[in-house]
Amino acid sequence: MKKRILSRFTVILFVIGFMVATQYNTINTSDTRDTRDTWEIRQELSREKQIHSELLSEISLLDETLGKYTGEAAEDPENILQETVEELRILAGLTEVTGSGITLEVRPSLEAVAMGTDIMEIPPDLLIRLVNEINRFNSIEMTISGQRIINTTAIRDINGYTTVNGERISTPPFAIEITTGNMEETRKLFSHLTASEIHDDFYIDDLTIAVSEPQEQLTLPPFGEDWSAAHLEALEEE
Amino acid sequence: MWISILGLLLGISLGLLTDVQIPPEYASYLSIAVLASLDTLFGGIRAHLQQVYDDKVFVSGFFFNIVLAAGLAFLGVHLGVDLYLAAIFAFGVRLFQNIAVIRRLLLAKWTEKRG
Repeated sequence: MKKRILSRFTVILFVIGFMVATQYNTINTSDTRDTRDTWEIRQELSREKQIHSELLSEISLLDETLGKYTGEAAEDPENILQETVEELRILAGLTEVTGSGITLEVRPSLEAVAMGTDIMEIPPDLLIRLVNEINRFNSIEMTISGQRIINTTAIRDINGYTTVNGERISTPPFAIEITTGNMEETRKLFSHLTASEIHDDFYIDDLTIAVSEPQEQLTLPPFGEDWSAAHLEALEEE
Repeated sequence: MWISILGLLLGISLGLLTDVQIPPEYASYLSIAVLASLDTLFGGIRAHLQQVYDDKVFVSGFFFNIVLAAGLAFLGVHLGVDLYLAAIFAFGVRLFQNIAVIRRLLLAKWTEKRG
């Protein structure tokens, strides 16, 4: 009799143990599994390495500036500060830029012209898409219909008109000018834009992009308006 | 007695080693089933100590309680009422009662032995 009771209890306890373990497994499942294959991990690694090298070059640049400050601080601090301000103005897009580059011309597509379709403005979404496509390249400066694109530029719809920097851009055709760091980059940009899928997106809106041959000299105007720094305040001296 | 604990350990290790998993939606059913089985287990121990243990009652109670609790939880999910709370409450209260009775019986036995 006693043996029988024991065997029953053993079986029941076994079942309980199994259930508890199953519950434990279910609750404590690890996060989503890493299912990337070697190639994806390699790509991830190369992306991270690129970021690493960019950060390193930035650090060395800042170090250089710091070295200048400490080295020449005693001699001519104002000069150094002026230099830095000028560098920052260039970075912010407040100066004229000259370099090699290409010109894109956004035009109504031939079909639209032949059919006599009304020529509509370019939608802001499409323009943003194009700008993002171009911004994949480093050290790019560009203007859209004469408006310089800077970090705070807004491309948006204001009262039904597509605007850049708050200024309405003309209906197509209009030009987009892009300068890059050097001729090699320009050629790369040229081939990228020539083969880009963005043409298909433009075609849906009855527009085409004509990409000019790389030019040695292209000058972009500075950002026109007063640059407002609403949330920046001068640091008071302690 | 030790052999029962061995059974428990065997069950746990088998569960952990085989890494069996159920879909997370059903985890609540399993937890209620575990509670029901614990209730039956302690009920069985108490009955054994009170010398009223019945094999059939014990085994049928084990399976019936599990099915009933899971069924109640299932019904609750479909009716939008947290019926599983009823099962948790009932089993929880009974679990404590059973354990209290077991403690008293064991204490009584112990004092009898010493005295």
